[in-house]
Amino acid sequence: MSATLPLPSPVAVSAAQPSRSYWAVVWRQLRRDPMALAAGGVLLLIIAAAVFAPWLAPADPYKASMIKRLLPIGSSGFLLGTDELGRDLLTRLMYGGRLSLLMGVVPVLAAFGIGTAIGLFAGYVGGKVNMVIMRVLDVFYAFPSVLLAVAISGALGPGLSNSLIALTLVFVPQVVRVAESVTIQVRQLDYIEAARMSGASAFSIIRVHVLGNVLGPVFVYATGLLSVSMILASGLSFLGLGVKPPEPEWGLMLNTLRSAIYSNPWVAALPGLLIFVTSIAFNLLADSVRSAMDIRR
Amino acid sequence: MFAYILKRLIYAIPIALSVTVVSFILVYLAPGDPLSAIAPADAPEEVIIALRSAYGLDQPVPVQYGLWLMRAVQGDLGLSIATGREVTSEVMRAVGNTLLLAGFAALIGVIAGCLFGALAGYRHGSWIDRIATALSVIGVSIPHYWLGLVLTILFSIWRPWFPAMGAGPGGSSEWLWDLEHFRYLVLPAVTLSVIPMGIITRTVRALVADMLGQEFVSALRARGLSGVAVFRHVAKNTAPTVLAVAGLQIGYLMGGSILVETVFAWPGTGFLLNTAIFQRDIPLLQGTILVLCMFFVVLNLLVDILQPMIDPRMGRA
Amino acid sequence: MNPCKLKISKWLLALPLAFSLHTELHAETVARYGISMADIPLTTGQPDRGAGAYQFTGHTLYDPLIAWEANVGTRPGKLIPGLATEWKVDAKDQKKWVFTLRKGVKFHDDSEFNADSVIWNLDKVLADKAAQFDAKQSAQVRPRVPSIDSYRKLGDYSVEITTKEIDALFPYQLPWFLISSPAQWEKLGKDWNKVASQPSGTGPFKLDKLVPRERADLVKNTAYWDKTRLAKTDRIVLVPIPDAMTRANALLNGQVDIIETPPPDVLPQLKASGFKLVQNVTPHVWPYHFSTYPGSPWTDIRVRKAANLAIDRDAVVQLMSGLASPAKGQVDASSPWFGKPTFKLGYDLAAARKLMAEAGYSQAKPLKAKIIIAQGGTGQMLSLPMNEFVQQSLAEVGIDVSFEVVELENLYRHWRAGAKGDINASKNITAINLGYVTADPFYAITRFTDSKYVAPNGVNWGGYNNPKVDAALEKIRTTFDTKTQDGLLAFVHQSMVDDAQMLWVVHDVNPHALSPKVKEFVQAQHWFQDLTTIRM
Repeated sequence: MSATLPLPSPVAVSAAQPSRSYWAVVWRQLRRDPMALAAGGVLLLIIAAAVFAPWLAPADPYKASMIKRLLPIGSSGFLLGTDELGRDLLTRLMYGGRLSLLMGVVPVLAAFGIGTAIGLFAGYVGGKVNMVIMRVLDVFYAFPSVLLAVAISGALGPGLSNSLIALTLVFVPQVVRVAESVTIQVRQLDYIEAARMSGASAFSIIRVHVLGNVLGPVFVYATGLLSVSMILASGLSFLGLGVKPPEPEWGLMLNTLRSAIYSNPWVAALPGLLIFVTSIAFNLLADSVRSAMDIRR
Repeated sequence: MFAYILKRLIYAIPIALSVTVVSFILVYLAPGDPLSAIAPADAPEEVIIALRSAYGLDQPVPVQYGLWLMRAVQGDLGLSIATGREVTSEVMRAVGNTLLLAGFAALIGVIAGCLFGALAGYRHGSWIDRIATALSVIGVSIPHYWLGLVLTILFSIWRPWFPAMGAGPGGSSEWLWDLEHFRYLVLPAVTLSVIPMGIITRTVRALVADMLGQEFVSALRARGLSGVAVFRHVAKNTAPTVLAVAGLQIGYLMGGSILVETVFAWPGTGFLLNTAIFQRDIPLLQGTILVLCMFFVVLNLLVDILQPMIDPRMGRA
Repeated sequence: MNPCKLKISKWLLALPLAFSLHTELHAETVARYGISMADIPLTTGQPDRGAGAYQFTGHTLYDPLIAWEANVGTRPGKLIPGLATEWKVDAKDQKKWVFTLRKGVKFHDDSEFNADSVIWNLDKVLADKAAQFDAKQSAQVRPRVPSIDSYRKLGDYSVEITTKEIDALFPYQLPWFLISSPAQWEKLGKDWNKVASQPSGTGPFKLDKLVPRERADLVKNTAYWDKTRLAKTDRIVLVPIPDAMTRANALLNGQVDIIETPPPDVLPQLKASGFKLVQNVTPHVWPYHFSTYPGSPWTDIRVRKAANLAIDRDAVVQLMSGLASPAKGQVDASSPWFGKPTFKLGYDLAAARKLMAEAGYSQAKPLKAKIIIAQGGTGQMLSLPMNEFVQQSLAEVGIDVSFEVVELENLYRHWRAGAKGDINASKNITAINLGYVTADPFYAITRFTDSKYVAPNGVNWGGYNNPKVDAALEKIRTTFDTKTQDGLLAFVHQSMVDDAQMLWVVHDVNPHALSPKVKEFVQAQHWFQDLTTIRM
């Protein structure tokens, strides 16, 4: 599993605070990037389908009907066919997107929040405190991420919330590392030193001066984690460690539809294909964001 | 150099210890009484007493950890709840199989990754570059257990070229280095290799493109240095990073092969983990995770030690 | 020489070697059997992993005193002599059973089978203080032979077993009790873990090789005492492939010759590729076994009945591509023990909702319950999709079910512990979904209904207690006439159904898929199968 993003190359830190115009430039850059537009478009579509599933979906995601099981794509009334319990696959895929995206995005968001906070704190305070925090986190680095996720959800037992906890724990140390390294670079800059001399409180220095500089690189890093998180999460569900039936989730659907691969290959392939497409879109968008934000260099 | 190695070694010790702590704590993460996590529900009194004293469950937690660690260091990881067999022997057998799979996958990944990456870097912006980049994005984006299913259908059912499951016709204990056995390795290893392939392609591409863009390379070229010489120069400078990335990848693959092993019924650690989880076999889970992580720690250490040795930029002290 | 070339030449050397090995083995007939378990069941005598495991490492390596006839497929089997040639109940004291043992039988290690070996084996699983006591084997078999009280040797080839009460059905418990070699255990340093890889029984196969979790090789025992049951294949290789899809792929790919429980959706592909599907009437039921202890949501009979009326069983059969039949009770309606229950199992949503409303629940205000189920495995059919369907059906009438999904052997542990057992109670598990063998009166009915067998004394999992049933069971025990027995059993079964003791869904047909290379395989109407009938 691709839970192994390389750490970002030493992040460029500008002396000036990022201004509103910087983000405007980034945004303009992104809008001009066809890859970003395509990936963003696909993602928006998938997200919208998931979010608005209760209003858009043509059927009930749980209503089973054995006489209609495993209908092929394009059957009348079932645009994408039906699953092994005769449930409308399009509906299941739309609802499935909710949990799959949730499991992909929530751990990254949580890790982004928690990791940035810890990283900022460690980097800003520095010294022994920093060392202790970073050494403790090094331990988590000693675990291959899939193994860590599997170990935690294995011991806690299967379930959505346990998977979320496991995945968050996997990503936090990585985010902390990025946040800490940037904070240390920023801290040494002259104007921060000046602010500190002038008696500004640590909190306000962090909030006003450091945070702005740190958020960018951490944000870039976190976007790169989205696809990793998606794939890891669906993998957990595939193993039976994530979402429990009958909740629709792409990884779980991929598993239960496997046996239809001979009788109805396209229907069986769809959940996997969706994970794949979403994950590619996340990756391409992350690449575009990274290069768009690089303009500062 | 020696001092550096020593420093890395010393640094690895607390990490290794902490790994043991995390593995130990799994017993407490498991819901319910810790004893129920390590003893079969129908265990007779003697077994329960033996386990209680082995883990020292009436003692304070640090003492319990100490007791457990002492045994673990001596190679005693306890007995599996489900089978009653020694965890150590179960895990070691599985580790061998996983190492075979992960090593071979990493090999494919590194070779393909270096090839694609170098080509893409050399022909930056060309169609080769685009294809290689696309492949690398696909590699890191594809849910590889799904890829495994698709490959099985294509190359072991539709075109029955490779076996669909297992580690050799006689099981892993009769593994031989011949063509017949090798066929069993192909599909799972290829499936597993797409991730390192993707990541290494990206890394090499960026490094090579960066290197070729630098002024001194153009200077070398301008001085009429042959392509081979330039290539050698580039290779020398990218090797350390590639080694570091590749080393980590083997570690990640060893931990990450759980899904592929499940799909291909490959009798490695992933298969063992999966069974351990659903049997709620905590000693087995503990042991497998501990051994895998130790591998990872050692691998990291090796990379840390080897990397500066082959890095021309670092002075050979 | 360059190292690369050296390696290639090594390969070239290895190739003909591999071929020559292959020709040497050519004379031996081999059947490779993909089994649905995650591991080879225990080989020391009493297999773990449920009834389905007896056909693999139970009745292949070992023999019971009284056997079950499993080499006929055209009619239900019956009890037949095994290592005991004769068994009789003592006319004066009907608690005492005398077994006459077979003479001239030898274990695989060449030691003699006699009365001492029987006593030694009974001690092995029932006497905790005996040196040879093995907790693991004991845990497996103790609930299967709950009637045994004491035993003694009468002569070199005669043994007496005393039951706790008079129990006419006692012989039905004995096919589950297998005899392993005391001499082998002595020889291997009294270590059961060592016996596991070199076991010795009297059965039609010997264990040649055991690779845990990967493979077990059974080779024909040419000196087997029952010449009518000599193995028709020299070697049977058992390969655990827990994932149904992988199992089917291995068959399609030619890596194995037989698989059990092929995924129903792959059947068309299997048939199109020339594979055979074998199935038979199988005494088996796939139920939800309810806990009726105080605090369980299933204590109210209206809820239990509503659950039974909420399932469209024909739909489940469809889900199984026809590899199942709808359940009307614990046993099939054609069974002499079925009786005339007044409560008719069927699909009647309106009636189910009405019952739930009377009990105080509705779709808007559902009753919550947690059920433990298996990931899959022998006898569990399509565990996840079927459970999902049942879950959905129950939701329609206002029962909100959540699942605890575990591996099969772990499920058996939860089963033997009973609903009151800590592992179930602590997680609030109030029903268990486990395929049950219903081949004989004891297995189909008695063990689940007698209040004496409330777990952990037996597998009356949910604490079913019906004085009228207990009284009838008491009578069955003291009735040695089969006709009267059948009548009483019918009464008990009828009460089970009327009390809606379980939610019965479907009966399995125990499907097997065979490659065209398999010439013969007799599928018995039981969960016990006779692997000696496989001919390549």
